[in-house]
Amino acid sequence: MPEQQEISLSILKKRWLKFKTLKRGYYSFILLIVLYGLSWFLPALINNRALIVSYDGELYFPVVSGYHSGSEFNQDVPGEALYRELQATWKQAGSDNWLILPLYPYSPFEDITVQGNKMYEPPSRTHWLGTDNTGRDVFARLCYAFNISISFALVLTILNYIIGVIIGGSMGYFGGKFDLFFQRIIEIWSSLPMLFVIIIISSIIRPSFFLLIFIYTIVNWIGMTYLMRAEFYREKSKDYVAAALSMGQTNFKVMFKHILPNSMVPIITYFPFAVVGGISALVGLDYLGFGMPPPTPSWGQMLDVGLQNISKWWMVFAPVSAQFVTLIMVVFIGEAVREAFDPKVYSRLR
Amino acid sequence: MTTYFIRRILLMVPTFLGSTILIFVILQMAPGGPLEQTIQQLQAGAMQSGESVGSVGDIMGGGSSVLPPSALRELKRFYGFDKPIYQRYLSWLGVWPREIKHREVKFENGATEAQKNVGRGTYMTLRLEDDLVQVYDKDGKLSNVWKASIDTDGAEENLILATIFQTEFSGILTGNLGTSYTYDQPVTEVMAPRFKISVFFGLTGLFLSYIVCIPLGIRKALNHGSAFDFLSSVTIFVAYSIPGFALGGVLLVLFGGGTFWDVFPLGGFRSPTDVWETLSLWGQIKDQLWHAVLPIIAWSIGSFAGLTVLMKNSLLENISQDYIRTAFAKGLQEKRVIWVHAIRNSVIPIASGIGGVIGVVIAGSYLIEKVFNIDGFGKMGFQAILDRDYPITLGFLVIVVMIRLVANILSDIALASVDPRIRFK
Repeated sequence: MPEQQEISLSILKKRWLKFKTLKRGYYSFILLIVLYGLSWFLPALINNRALIVSYDGELYFPVVSGYHSGSEFNQDVPGEALYRELQATWKQAGSDNWLILPLYPYSPFEDITVQGNKMYEPPSRTHWLGTDNTGRDVFARLCYAFNISISFALVLTILNYIIGVIIGGSMGYFGGKFDLFFQRIIEIWSSLPMLFVIIIISSIIRPSFFLLIFIYTIVNWIGMTYLMRAEFYREKSKDYVAAALSMGQTNFKVMFKHILPNSMVPIITYFPFAVVGGISALVGLDYLGFGMPPPTPSWGQMLDVGLQNISKWWMVFAPVSAQFVTLIMVVFIGEAVREAFDPKVYSRLR
Repeated sequence: MTTYFIRRILLMVPTFLGSTILIFVILQMAPGGPLEQTIQQLQAGAMQSGESVGSVGDIMGGGSSVLPPSALRELKRFYGFDKPIYQRYLSWLGVWPREIKHREVKFENGATEAQKNVGRGTYMTLRLEDDLVQVYDKDGKLSNVWKASIDTDGAEENLILATIFQTEFSGILTGNLGTSYTYDQPVTEVMAPRFKISVFFGLTGLFLSYIVCIPLGIRKALNHGSAFDFLSSVTIFVAYSIPGFALGGVLLVLFGGGTFWDVFPLGGFRSPTDVWETLSLWGQIKDQLWHAVLPIIAWSIGSFAGLTVLMKNSLLENISQDYIRTAFAKGLQEKRVIWVHAIRNSVIPIASGIGGVIGVVIAGSYLIEKVFNIDGFGKMGFQAILDRDYPITLGFLVIVVMIRLVANILSDIALASVDPRIRFK
């Protein structure tokens, strides 16, 4: 009998391989990860400060070292040096000084107070997506907002998951009065229009990034909690839990080492859709003016400016497309993850 | 079953109380409330007229200020901040007597008796007895209509201040939502026309999305894997990835006559009243529809993706069931099997979702209302928060909470009535 090489794959590995075959989701996943990774290096890619300046034989690194006044490079401007103009003058004069600018030499914060910037410039070769109501470059802001949006949604979702697993898990596992008490709380919570509550709270305290996440978590934890409650409730009655308990495992260990890994499917399949919710919520809040404090780059704030000036079409199209492309990638990932983790096989008609 | 629903309806009461207490406390505890805003406005007004003013803190503490203590007391009373928070909440509910028609009374230097005209030439006599003030009418009997209390804060030396007032039970339980600070109208009167607008959009959007989504879902399920299925899936992904209000913005830019096509108006519920009234009935209908097209598209897009996918998956699941195979085996025609056997079971999840959709559609639309500048219910609530108009904010939230609670029960009833297998206990 020929020895049969049986390769035993873990279920996670099988699912990962299945996920890789779903091209749309898989490539979205890779692309999104690369873009998000890159977005952490935005200050070196999209910025008005030069990467390297060589002036009088000395090297400067303004991206890292920060503020350099114009007079340091013998430039006659008030305040910070204008590196784009500096480069042009040096080139024209054919001097030995040189500097390297980032790929896209505009910062998301430089407005009309910086020489040469104009309000509402339509898209052109210098400003790829035009400028906004204060002369800031739309493309630069768009990219920085991408990083903030994704980070916001990720941190928010993970926090919600932690709370959901702990509270929801305990509700399902212990049941009884604890469960009843939190069920009432959840019922009260879910009867409130949550975006409104957030607006009320944000209108009182001007939120920062983490404060906004904190507020949003307070109002948003119920979804995951309810999901985990049902999951733990179902798993609790299975034999392996009884076996673990009879071997003297503590409740804590049973919950997190035995039940949790078995409840992973809903946790993972739900994740991308929770991220979609987080991104959309931030855009909505920013649009209403109750999100990140200005001048944080944000799609919602750009949309607000655009909708106040309907004829400045790029101010509406740019953020909506950015949001749309990001969300559709996440949705593709979500769909592929669901397919890989929780496949539904439908038999055909007849 | 009936017992179950009665219990559900009874359970609404604690939930309702819990959520209103929560909102009430958040609003009342918040700094920068209506009282402080009014004081600040008065201060700013005084500043313009060139008087020197202290900080808000000074004024609140009754220190040097442009506001005389009596005016401050009057303001506090107007906004209800003269009472502890639990009393405010209970009288807002309507189970604690509310003080109305109050007038101030001064007791001059050591006097224990004061007279007060309470209107129509009727004088009431107030007598200080120990720490209490009693009100007597002109026959010398204790009045059972008027009551009085001593004002402790803001009292000056040798001068005792008292307030004479009537009481009344009036709150949300008696249908009184209070009077708006900004509109100076009863809250219900502010709400009614705006609520109608939102319901118009909400229900039209709901109706349209059901009309489109159910047949679309059925068609997708029957042609699962076909080119049509693929193409419509793309549309669904697009619809899911673009929030309704953002789509509304894009539609406005494209069709609102800015840079591109001038097809639809830039917003509003209908033409301004002076134009509206000159239109014939047919013209009014056309005008209304012309204004409604873009907002309704934005409104329906939210439920479009979810509903279609729900319908498709539910039908797919049913088609793979044994009873369908049995029906085919009996020799029934495909049409009959699908339209009579499978569809009837597939609409169950759709029917049960209707309550939740109603709740969201009616109340969750302020983003779209803001984009299209429609003076609807959601926009009113949003504006009320900005203006610190607490009666409207609270009234708005009460209505939204009520709609949601009722909608939840409605969807259970809908579920129970379309699916006889379901037994709630």
